[in-house]
Parts: sequence; structure tokens; C-alpha cells
Amino acid sequence: MTLPVAQKLFLSAWSTLLSDSGSPSTRVWVRDQVWPTRVVGILFVLFLVVGCTRTDSRSVVFAVGGAPVELIFWQNLIGDFESESGISVEMVRRPTDSSQQRQSLLIPLKAGLSDPDVFLMDVAWVGLFAAAGWLEPLGGKVEVSPFFPNVVNEVDTVGGQLVALPVYMDGGLLFYRKDLLREAGIARPPGTWEDLVSSAVKVQRRQRIDNPNFFGFVWTGSQYEGLVTVFMEFAGSTGGFVRTSGKIRLASPGNIQALTLMCDLIWREKISPPSTYTTMKEEEVRRYFQAGDALYERNWPYAWALHQAEGSMVKGSTGVAPVPAPRGSRSVSTLGGFHIGVSRYSDVKAEALAFVKFVTRYESQKRLVLNLGWNPGRQDLYEDPAVLAVAPHLRTLREVFQKARPRPVVPYYTQISEIVQRHLNRALANEVSPEAALADADREIAGLLARYELN
Amino acid sequence: MPILSDRTSSVAPRDRTPRLSYRDRETLTACAFVLPLLLFLAVLVLLPVVGTFWDSLERDVPYLPVRFVGLANYGAILRDPGFWDSVRFTFLFVAVSVPLELLLGLMIALVLNESFPGRALLRAVVLVPWAVPAAVSGRIFELIYNYSFGLANYLLQVSHLSGRPINWLGTKVGAFAAIVVADAWKTTPFVALLLLAGLTGINQDLYAQARVDRAGIFQRFVYITVPLLKPVLLVALLFRTIDALRIFDVIFVLTGGGPGGGTSALSMFAYTYFSSGDFGYGATASVLLFLWAVGFSFVTVRLARFREETL
Amino acid sequence: MNERELKKVLLVAGVLLTVMITLGPVCYMLITALSETPDFLRPTKPLTLTLDHLLSVITADTLHLLAYTRNSLLISAAAAIISVFLASLAAYALTRLPLPRKGFFLGGVLALSMFPAISLVSYLFKLMARLGWINTYPALILPYVAWTLPVSLWILVSYFAQVPRDLDHAGRIDGASRLQILVKIILPVAAPGVFSTALLVFILAFNEFLFALMLTTDQASRTIPVGIALFEGLHGQIPWGEIMAAATITTLPVIVLTLVFQRRLVQGLTRGAVKQ
Repeated sequence: MTLPVAQKLFLSAWSTLLSDSGSPSTRVWVRDQVWPTRVVGILFVLFLVVGCTRTDSRSVVFAVGGAPVELIFWQNLIGDFESESGISVEMVRRPTDSSQQRQSLLIPLKAGLSDPDVFLMDVAWVGLFAAAGWLEPLGGKVEVSPFFPNVVNEVDTVGGQLVALPVYMDGGLLFYRKDLLREAGIARPPGTWEDLVSSAVKVQRRQRIDNPNFFGFVWTGSQYEGLVTVFMEFAGSTGGFVRTSGKIRLASPGNIQALTLMCDLIWREKISPPSTYTTMKEEEVRRYFQAGDALYERNWPYAWALHQAEGSMVKGSTGVAPVPAPRGSRSVSTLGGFHIGVSRYSDVKAEALAFVKFVTRYESQKRLVLNLGWNPGRQDLYEDPAVLAVAPHLRTLREVFQKARPRPVVPYYTQISEIVQRHLNRALANEVSPEAALADADREIAGLLARYELN
Repeated sequence: MPILSDRTSSVAPRDRTPRLSYRDRETLTACAFVLPLLLFLAVLVLLPVVGTFWDSLERDVPYLPVRFVGLANYGAILRDPGFWDSVRFTFLFVAVSVPLELLLGLMIALVLNESFPGRALLRAVVLVPWAVPAAVSGRIFELIYNYSFGLANYLLQVSHLSGRPINWLGTKVGAFAAIVVADAWKTTPFVALLLLAGLTGINQDLYAQARVDRAGIFQRFVYITVPLLKPVLLVALLFRTIDALRIFDVIFVLTGGGPGGGTSALSMFAYTYFSSGDFGYGATASVLLFLWAVGFSFVTVRLARFREETL
Repeated sequence: MNERELKKVLLVAGVLLTVMITLGPVCYMLITALSETPDFLRPTKPLTLTLDHLLSVITADTLHLLAYTRNSLLISAAAAIISVFLASLAAYALTRLPLPRKGFFLGGVLALSMFPAISLVSYLFKLMARLGWINTYPALILPYVAWTLPVSLWILVSYFAQVPRDLDHAGRIDGASRLQILVKIILPVAAPGVFSTALLVFILAFNEFLFALMLTTDQASRTIPVGIALFEGLHGQIPWGEIMAAATITTLPVIVLTLVFQRRLVQGLTRGAVKQ
């Protein structure tokens, strides 16, 4: 917005430059247009009052984000639902970017709008949406036993009520080069982080002779949510966001050890590239490994299909294993994925629920894995022979998911994550020591809780 | 001739003897004319500002009951390192972009002040960046700063200024530069026209006299143009500063707050909280920005009036 | 090199630089919109032109481009008309009728224009949500009117001040009410100025971003700046060709408006703003 006086000067500048004379005819013409102006004016006002688009109120509005191939899948699924049930569904596309997607759901819900009726939520948002009372309870109307019980209990059941269902699941995985390990005489993928480091150092030394770009282990260390998920895996089952006497305390010995290890990978052992903490996110990591320049990759299961695709340098030589564990701890994968929920403000709750049931039934979930290559939320699908024929790694994944750990299911998780990301990244960038970074994070989280008067 | 007259015609209509004096009736009419505007401003500008201030005194998140917490949010925000990063960024942005715009604007104004064929066309062309919405220009610059095939890295490569392409939007420094350039592009035309108005106000005889005294181009510029342009330069500086404090559109599109919150100007900082549902804390940040902008504009108005008086 | 030649060189350099800087990004947008792939600057890539992007963004329903354009045009036009009308009323009162503390009033209105939009938008959001007006036209038109009233008022005050009082007196003698004088005499006389103010408000409302971002959630209700900012396209990775095509289509009208009517703007202003 420009200021009025400045505007005046601005306009007077123009006036002094262009020396066109006025057109008296305009004046007369405008003065004569009284009645047409009135008619236009009335029509205009009417149009404004009437003119705002509203979707057909009896259709279910389904908000989903994602890549074009996902949207095609949903479009097909919706088509089948419509012809089977006679209920019309309108798919609304949300931004692909995670935080924009969250915002695009949060704003309408906070405003209490009736659309969207059904939507997909990242597993990390369910806590917020449930606590805010935006999710319609599903309990009693859907059968939960086919789904992964740990997930349903920890994430989807809030205050004793079922409010969401997992549509697809994600968990961190370790991808590795089978051929390189064999070459180095290592029989199995590493079960502990120490084993991973020693094997990576060995192989990297060998590979660097021909390939100066080679790194032993690529992972997502950029300042974003992915860093937090990786940190939890480095810390194992006894680390991460473990509560001691009711409070989350990050500066525990186990966590400090984990963060120190993460820093050492970059600075001491040098088996992870410096770009790890600046630019490495899922796609960058995947591409690095796929170009054949890494021995180990920590990424989400989606990378598997791409690694096995035509044109991939690592096709046929990629193995999948659970993420390693720190000494004295169990390996635990960070849970990811998307869940489906119904808006409490929906004006078509019965129809919305029907749609939810359709999306989560056996046949639809089977299509999810066969067409998109995604991991379904229904556990019973992991025994289907047709599915296993196409995606054999689901056997490993099933175990991983059964033990996967969600991020803290608290409504303010996003704020906590933002704090933790920042401090973890500073430690990785060697700006502060791991102890100081985690202590700072603890302090800020305590301040956050104090501000919300939750302590 | 004063613009605002407090006196109207002294001829009173003869046909009516109202209980109210003519002047009172005129005043009532005046109030009636002004009332709609006042109502709009009161309800849609003043009320929101007051409402936002009230929000900043509350804990307002979607998953907890709204509660009055007094100045607790202010205490928290003043201890928040993210807030101070944001303030620093905003300050740096203003300090770099405003002089840049003034310089570029001055160059364009000097060019437009000369007469040459096609001057009118150039004037029209100069307005184009102003007409493009900031969000759209943001996307154009997002493409320009694309790492792999953007115009910026292409120019770098072609001019051999840098060995490798720069990751503009992925680093804090690069993103800062990108935002400054994108904003300057959009707002320089306005500054240029402002300065042009100032230039045309300079008496040409001064230059003629200087030429007689054998003063060169640069001497004339430094000793005549710049001093006489100072008032307008000051006005432009102050107005642009207030606008730069409020920057939002370009940042939202280019970086969304930057790599790890590194380009989060104060508006963006507040918006991030609003869009996460924390309306209380976001309101606190926006009130502080409001105070900053208003404080500065207070200085502006004071100085502008002072300048007008001394001219 | 003597002074005249130096001046000429500087001028030519200045003109070239100005043109390149101002038009460069716009040309880049145009070329990308017409180019098959956005990476035509890479040495090995040829530049193949195609109209596909332009056609696909217009015809794809899911992209809502026509909806954005319709919304922007109507909202901006409505805001311009209402803002100018209300400001005319007030400007008339300020320049011709007795009113206490006029300087204070104008100063206060000026001050209101300096409020950052972010300091208003959260409360406006809550207000509009409570009224159930999110995603409707009034939710944007009304704030835009209020937002642009200070500008309109200041410009119209300077225009109206230039209109001779004799016209008012003539109207009074004919028995016209103040409102009739304003509408039938003053507005037509100041028509070019009023028009240029309306145009200015139109452009400001058209380009506004933050209010539109927070007060609309539905893609069909969005305006052009928000639509382009969040544009995701139909296929694959960031579809630069389509984004630039959409940007071209939606902003070319505003650019043309500015270029064309800039003369009109000034015509009226010759009588309005300059205090000779």
C-alpha cells in the first residue's frame, strides 16, 4: 500500500509530464448516463449478493494433497464409490507442500466451515486436530481390528474415542547396496549404528578410489521435520521424546550420544556429505543413492519403487532393512503416513462416513498398494499373496510398522518440532555442541509449555 | 488557497425558517457525508487493530480454552530467539532494500527527466512492475532464481562471475538477496516517479547558471541536483521504509519464511503462527510490528510536515 | 569525450538499463509461458514455442483460473466503486462543508493507512468466520474498501478542492440538496479525477494478497494473486510453463489497463493534483 501524499506526488508527476488536454465530451457523456448507470448498479449489487460459488451441498468434499499420480488414484476411487453408493464426492486438491497443506486444512476448520467434509492428515497433525475437537468420532461405526493396533491406539484414539483411521503407513527404512556389502565381505546389513559406521568407512575408502563423490551414508539432516524423524531413529527406543516423570526431556545421555553420532558422521568419520545439514531432504537423499554414490540410505519406503525403476543405477542391487539401533536399545522406526478423518462441522456426516469406510476397506487398500505402491494401513493386506508378489519388501515393512513409534501425539507437536529442528540442525552444522543444542531445545520447549500454561 | 474551507456561502436560503441554523444544518450534512467513511474505517480498520491487540493478551490456540493471560505473550516473545531473528531480518531488509530502491529510482528519474524520442513510452514501461501483483512477481523471481535453469544462474554462468551456480533460495544469504531484488523490482518505479516529480521542480536556470560557471555534469549533479532533491528523497525514504517493514507477499511466495526460518520478516513470523492456529502469539507479533510501523510513521509525518514548512 | 557525448552515453546506458530491468522479468515470464520446457536457457536445450500451456491453463477446470479472474475483477471493481463513492462524500464535506478538526481528521485517516495488514487480518478472519462470510465476496470487498479509503479520500480531496465553489452556489440557487450537487454537478466535473482514483483503487485491490490469502479457503473463491502464488499445475514437478502462462493471462489485463489509462489518469490529474 502506498501512502496518499506520496500518491499525490506520484500522480502530479505524471500530470506535469503529459500535456494532453482534457476532454469535455467525457464530462457531458458521464452526466447523461444516469439511468443506465442505475440499472447497471442494481444488477451489479444483485450479482455480488448472489455471486459466490458454493459447492453442491449434498456432496462430500474430500480434501487431498499430493502428486498427480496420487490424484489420479483418488479420482478413480471416487468414481467407483460414486457409482456404487450414489453419493457424489468432490475432490479438492490441497497444496503438496506439507505445511501449506496443514494450513489449508486448519484455516477452514478453525473457521468452522462445513467443507471439506473428509480429509487426509499427516500422522503428525492428528494430535492437533483431535485436541481441537475438529474430528468427528468414528467409534462404533467402523471396524478397527484389521488395522495396525499400535497405530490405532496411539495415534487415532484420542480421549478414548476413535477419530481417524490410517490410510497408508510409512516408517523409516535403511536401504543398502547388496553388491557393495558382498564385495566387502559383509554378510548382513548392520543391526547397530556402530556396525553401520564401521562398514560404511570400509566401503567408502574402497569406493573413493574410483568415485570421489561416494559417501557411506546419506540421510535427511536439513532443518525440517525429516531431521526430527531421523533423530528419533538414531536415538532408538529408549531415546527421542521419552517422557521422564511426565515431562519430555531431550537432553538425556542417550539422545546426546545419538546427536553426537550424527555430527560425527559428517565431521569426524566423514561418511555423510556436508550438504546433509543444508539441503538433504527425501528427494535429494534418494537421488544420491540412486545415482550409485552411497552405500546406505535412510529414507521412506516410497524410494523402493523408484530405486527399482528403469534407469536407476541401483536397480536390482538395493536391499531393505530396518533402521539400526543404538547400543542398549531396540531399533525403532519413526511412524509416518496419512490418516483419514471426518470434519466435525461437516454437513453430510453420514455420507462422509460411508466414504471413509469405502476408502479403508480391503479392496480399496489393495488397489492402493497395487496401483500406487503405497503401504496400506490395514494389517491384513500384508498377508495377501497377490500383494506380496508385487511388493515382497512388505514382509519386512510389516514388522517395522508393528514396532514403529509415532512422534509425540500432542497438539503442539508442530511447535516442538520447529524448536527441535532448529537446534538439531545447529549441532549438525557444528555451531554448538550436542549437549548445548539439546539443553537449549529443552529450555525453549519448557518456555513454550509455560506460555501455553501446560506445565 | 486553502483546500479545506470552513466557510461556505454566506447567502442563506429564503424559503424556510429552520429551527437549526443554516450552519448547523450544513454541519449535520457534513457529518452525514463523512459518517459512512468513518463507519467503514472504524469497523474494518480500527476494530480489527483493537481486536488484535486484545487477542495478544490471550492464550488462543485451537486445542485449549481461550484464556486471558495479560502480557505473558509479550514476555515470551521478547525472549523468543525466533522473534529476534525476525526483527533482525526485517531491519536488515529495510536497511538494504530502501537505499537500493532510492539509488535505482534516482537513476531512472534522471533518465526520464531528459527529453529524448520515446520518453513517453519509457515512462509507461517503467510503470509495468508496479502493475504486476507482488505475488505474481514473486513467482517470476522464483523461476529466475531456480538453481538448475533459472535466469540468474544463467547470467552468472554467461558472465563468468561465478564458477558454480548459486543456490539462491536454499541459503539464507542467497534468499535475502533474492528477496531484496524482487521487492526492489516491484517498488522502484514508484520511487522513480516520486523523484521525477522532485526533479521537475528544480529550477532549470540554476543549471544554466552552473554551465556558465563551467561546472561539469557531475559537479552539477552533486551541488545542485542532490541538495535540492533532498526533501523528496527524504519523503521517499520514509514512505518506502514503512512499506518495507510490512513486507509479506514476496517472501511468502519466494521462500515461505526461508530456509529454516531464515527469511522470516516480522509479518511472515506472525503469519506462521496464525496459520498454525496460534492466534494469540501471532497477534502479539503483529502488534509489535504495528507499533514499529506506527512509531516510524509518526516520525515520518512529523518530518514531512517540517520539510514542507521549510521549503 | 566532451560533456555532451558523455551525457549521451549515460543517457543511452540508463535507458537500456531501465528497459532491461523493468521488462526483463516480464519477458522471461512470457517466454517461459510459451516455451515447451522451462529450462530453455540450458546450453543444450533448444527453445521450442508452443501454445499448449496457455490453452491448458484456461481449459482445465481443476485449475480454476477463470474463477480467479472473475473473482478478482468483480471484487476489485466493487471495491473501487464503493470506495470512491464513500470517499467522494467525505471529500465533498471536507472541502465545502463546515466540519470540526478537519486537519486532525485527515491526519488520522492518513495514519490509518499505515497500519500493517497483518495486524488486521487475524481479527478480520475471526469476524468473517463468525459472520459466515469466509469465501464470499463481501469478506474481501468490505476490507478492501476500508483499506483503500484513505488513499481515495486524499486524492479526491485535492481534486474537489480544484472544483470552483461557484458551481455549488449555482446548484444551491437552483434549490438542489448537497447530495444532488455532489452527484449531478461535482462528480461529472471531476469525472476524470474520480475515474483515475477508482482505477488506482481497482489496481490496489486487484494486487492485494494477505487478506485474500486468509479470508478465502476455497479455490473457487480465490483471487488472482493468491491463485498464482499457490498454483500447482496439472502435471509433475513445479510446472513453470503453466504457472507463467497463468500469470501472463491474469496479469496482462492489469498491465494493459495501467498502460492505456495512464494517460486518462493524468488528464484528470492536470486539474486535480497540481497546486499551481
